[in-house]
Amino acid sequence: MEKDKAPDRIDRVDARAKVTGTASYAADHKIQNTVYGLLVGSTVAKGRIKSIDTKAAEKASGVLAVLTYFNTPKLPGYTTGKDPSKPPTGGQPLRFFATNEIFYYDQAIALVVADTYERVLHAAKLVKAQYEKATHKTSLEDNLATAKVPTGPRQEDYTRGEADSYKNAPVKIEQEYYHPVEVHNPMELGSIVAFWEGAEKVTVYTKTQGVQATQKSISDAFKLPLGNVTVHARHIGGAFGMGLRTWPYEIAAVMAAKKVGKPLKLVLHREQMFTNVGYRPATKQKIGLGATADGKLIGLTHEATGNTSAYEEFTEATVNISRFMYACPNVTTRYRLVPLNVCTPIWMRGPGEATGAFALESAMDELAHALKLDPVEFRVRNHADSDPEKNLPWSSKYLKECYEMGAERIGWKNRKLQPRTNQDGDWLVGYGMGAGSFGAMRWVASVKGILQPEGKLRLQCSVNDMGPGTATMMTAVAADIMGLPPGRIIIEMGSTGLPPGPMQGGSNVTATVGSAVHDVCFAMKEQIAALASKAGSVFSKANSQQLKAEDLLFSENGLSLKSDTSVRLSYSEFFKQNGLPAVEVTKESKGTEQPYSSYSFSVHFVKLRVHPATGRIKIDHVVSCADAGTIVSPKTSESQMIGGAVGGIGMALMEDMVIDQRFGRPINNNLADYHVPVNADIPTVDVLFVNKKDPIIGPMGSKGLGEIALVGVAPAIANAVFNATGKRLRELPITRDKLLEV
Amino acid sequence: MINFDYVRVSTIKAAVDAIVKDNNSLWLAGGTNLVDLMKKGVMTPQKLVDINNLPLKEIKKEGNKLIIGALALNSTVADNELVRKEQPLLALAVQAGASAQLRNMATVGGNMMQRTRCPYFYNTDMPCNKREPGTGCGALKGFNRMHAIFTDTEKCIAVHPSDMSVGLVALDATVLLSGPRGDRRIPFQNFHRLPGNLPQKDNTLERGELIVAVEIPENKLNKHVHYLKVRDRTSYAFALVSAAVAVDLEGSTIKDIRLALGGVAHKPWRLTEVENFLKGKAATEVNYKQAAALAIRGAKGFGLNNFKLKLAPNTLVEALKTATGKS
Amino acid sequence: MAKKGSGQNQAEENYLNESRRNFFKQSSLLTALAVTPPAFLKAAEEGLDEKAAGYFEKMPLAIQINGVNHDLSVEPRTTLLDLIREQLALPGTKKGCDHGQCGACTVHVNGNRVLSCLTLAVTAEGKKVTTIEGLADGEKLHPMQEAFIKYDGFQCGYCTPGQIMSGIACIREGHANSDDEIREYMSGNICRCGAYPNIVKAIADVKKGGQTL
Repeated sequence: MEKDKAPDRIDRVDARAKVTGTASYAADHKIQNTVYGLLVGSTVAKGRIKSIDTKAAEKASGVLAVLTYFNTPKLPGYTTGKDPSKPPTGGQPLRFFATNEIFYYDQAIALVVADTYERVLHAAKLVKAQYEKATHKTSLEDNLATAKVPTGPRQEDYTRGEADSYKNAPVKIEQEYYHPVEVHNPMELGSIVAFWEGAEKVTVYTKTQGVQATQKSISDAFKLPLGNVTVHARHIGGAFGMGLRTWPYEIAAVMAAKKVGKPLKLVLHREQMFTNVGYRPATKQKIGLGATADGKLIGLTHEATGNTSAYEEFTEATVNISRFMYACPNVTTRYRLVPLNVCTPIWMRGPGEATGAFALESAMDELAHALKLDPVEFRVRNHADSDPEKNLPWSSKYLKECYEMGAERIGWKNRKLQPRTNQDGDWLVGYGMGAGSFGAMRWVASVKGILQPEGKLRLQCSVNDMGPGTATMMTAVAADIMGLPPGRIIIEMGSTGLPPGPMQGGSNVTATVGSAVHDVCFAMKEQIAALASKAGSVFSKANSQQLKAEDLLFSENGLSLKSDTSVRLSYSEFFKQNGLPAVEVTKESKGTEQPYSSYSFSVHFVKLRVHPATGRIKIDHVVSCADAGTIVSPKTSESQMIGGAVGGIGMALMEDMVIDQRFGRPINNNLADYHVPVNADIPTVDVLFVNKKDPIIGPMGSKGLGEIALVGVAPAIANAVFNATGKRLRELPITRDKLLEV
Repeated sequence: MINFDYVRVSTIKAAVDAIVKDNNSLWLAGGTNLVDLMKKGVMTPQKLVDINNLPLKEIKKEGNKLIIGALALNSTVADNELVRKEQPLLALAVQAGASAQLRNMATVGGNMMQRTRCPYFYNTDMPCNKREPGTGCGALKGFNRMHAIFTDTEKCIAVHPSDMSVGLVALDATVLLSGPRGDRRIPFQNFHRLPGNLPQKDNTLERGELIVAVEIPENKLNKHVHYLKVRDRTSYAFALVSAAVAVDLEGSTIKDIRLALGGVAHKPWRLTEVENFLKGKAATEVNYKQAAALAIRGAKGFGLNNFKLKLAPNTLVEALKTATGKS
Repeated sequence: MAKKGSGQNQAEENYLNESRRNFFKQSSLLTALAVTPPAFLKAAEEGLDEKAAGYFEKMPLAIQINGVNHDLSVEPRTTLLDLIREQLALPGTKKGCDHGQCGACTVHVNGNRVLSCLTLAVTAEGKKVTTIEGLADGEKLHPMQEAFIKYDGFQCGYCTPGQIMSGIACIREGHANSDDEIREYMSGNICRCGAYPNIVKAIADVKKGGQTL
């Protein structure tokens, strides 16, 4: 990278690898003699496997093995049984081939291994099973009566002030909202390459958002020492949460690789991405919201019932956003689960909050309308100046700034207070907005920095980069502190064996890993200053005092004395004089408990048009504003925000995994029938950052961005649809048929 | 995918002979649908006869007819100067289908031969009378949001997915065939069929009959045209409903008109009666709405697709308004 | 291009001389029988089952990929995508759906963008294929690759090879004359990270640059 490039808007550091096709994703790793595995799924949604006929498959050309319940011994780690209270990332409650029980449609009943991909594709089709069928339950709405309180923490009912007091408010609304199953569908398919060295050591390339978590899962399942399991995931092709746990298919692939004694590659079909690796659960919500006549909230009740699987409890913070988002004295939240014959859900971008915000921010819009108030003004009137749930001050909060800058950019003044009064030919024009929030977290990370004599800095951490630009962020932080051009910084990441980093989830990575990079760089400068102070060095000759890092200038050319820049040394000279091959520093860095409440905030504004005669909808403009603390890498951060808006557009307008309840199976589990946005759906998306430092969370003052980019987008669209048409749509997605008028 | 034999042919005769000789063989053109169906196990030919080398790619004018070779690519048709000038409705319809990459692969003949996108047809563990006669229609009481509102049977309520065919049926095209018993011409309108008692049969081709070309007669319908496709996203999605409109206007009077709907039946749905109603009438929204009411007569919803009973006439009105500049 | 003729003739010959082909099949089987273990013999005796059938179904394929000529032997059912990824070690082209529903596998065949997942490799006989690996001229990136970096036209990078191949073709086809036209003609390439606005900027910028692509 050219050295005169301003460090504050650096290009994505792995961009060159990505545009040349040299960035390697799990299935791209080529190992000599690799064989191919493929899962065969159950054709029933509930029951027991009576028998499996694998003869034809085993006879098919090139087939090496067919693993099933009937021929596969349980793994040594499969002893703990079900543990519904364990968080889903903590274990593997469903294990392929360990039971003959069928919990959901397309649950793997066999894994076929063959020497070529074509052969395994064919052989997999030859496996036939007989089932003892049982009656399945796959509809949330039909089974609401069986809803139960989940056992996990932070899921119990919550009341602040008086329960359900919205009912007594002078102005109130009470409405139900529904969100169907939404599937992550990263473009990369679930993929793993596994190979064993002997019976005790295994290496995998896999699609995970945390190599160490996968390492732990594999080591637990096979009872191997952690160090015998190596996991690589430098590049993953998006995940949005589906890589936050180790899925049964990954363990099954590792089993199969062991059985055939060869490197094995298993890539899921797109269909299996809908059925076997989680999704955002369907959720029915009810909001009761009441205010005084002048628009001060009195009571808020938020109830949600989401689905989980028949074998595990999956929970998310769907209702929790209602506890802190607005200043409201009386708040009640209730959260329930309905177990269904489907795979366990998994967190999907803005988990819980995105679903909850659809209901809450729609309800806020509904109440603003009932109050004849501008929805922005209504929110400002109920701004929470401190966290009303935890009774703590915010570590930082610039939500009002977001309202202001976004309203200005979208042209909010052109919005009509009365819906359906803004027409452009046959099209109805509407403006809407929705706010979002997500906890700003800083976890633990270790980073190792190695400054090499040629003035290159290597940074190592096991964290990976599913697309938000983690490597670029790390580079930006280090470049700034070390005075190095970004091109001189080398990031080594995404593998076990490197200093441990966090999972890539919950928007924590910039605060967690960025802070560790920060700490490493400062420690490195201090260490260099100490070396420079040693007797005999040119720096100590020119400056008899003990040198501090701030007394030195660090640049790609080496070191110089701030007070006299003619006193300088290249790093290679400096290291040679100190008899060092390089300077190495490893630091562990973590957040500490603070008497503050930390959240990131976003506000999304949308302008759109609806053609009521045909139900067509066209989004004209999106403005997404974020209070995410200091923006370390503006270019990649903007992309992340744009991506969140696109995801929110999908959630609002098209995404819906449909299950044919008669068969208990999804009917649109492919990318032609399950619609995600295409290029033509997406208008100009303007991204505005407050870009003010959070003084508490960490040294750079950066809060998370990935989740808030999406949380609040869907209600902004639903609210704009209401403003355009006067139609309040409380069930997502808002498809053409719902907008159609005579 | 099962393994299969593959041969290439370079004459029409060899192509026809190959298929006639072997009951388990199929022609391969662009492959965008066939290869997909083979991957899914929906179609399992034991031999593919690659016809891409046949000299059937040309688009030309012969007398007062536009002849489009069956192997002309969809993208070639959409971008072809002659087509855009003389039959712009066809260019619009073709361009509304699939994606740029798929249009670069798919041929005219292959587009006509597309199978339905009904999910029950596509999934081999589901009931489907089209794929496996006698197993029932999964869509009838299932997820039938995309399905037909005009049908002659409840054995199959699938729709034909082609946009191009909606344009061609509107333009009075003729299909030119070559088969074991010589050449044959079928009016495009009679090419695709309603399911009746044979839902497995999409069209009226006989075994061994190869589509050689489509022929469109000259018309004065190239000034006021529109193809409106309403779908679940802005592009790269199959139609909920589409409307093909071509009008010959004299002042504000409709001198001649062609209308067809897509996404409503097992075949592209020509609206001859509606055309007759509008001929000689003024190009007004009032007349369009009356026409649309006529167009939807006899339609029936099956639950999730009931909205099409509204969407279809509204789409037709909208397409008419856009074509004649009345919107 | 001489290869093209011969491959085609051979295929046709195979077809037109069905009896010869049958003989060829049988003799292949005999050869196979001579060198295979008893288990195979037993399978073969039970009728020409799958295991036996696998021994002879490959076709010759002469294909040029990124300027390199390959003389290969492939099964007819092998897609161009699986051929280049699994057999030719060119993993830059990605599999996103395997059914023509996402565009991740877009490559150029004779200069046109097509989906390699729905292209049977044997149908590319005698053709020139360009993948993402064939765009840069040594260290010098293709203008579209430069533009994607400049405008950050991706996040995870997985759909990027397909987007870039498609973007180049979009300009070549003459369908990059406005942002809206680019949006429509790039809608066959799904980007789940949602980099669309930046992709449009990158393509518009290359189009404006006016280079021959």
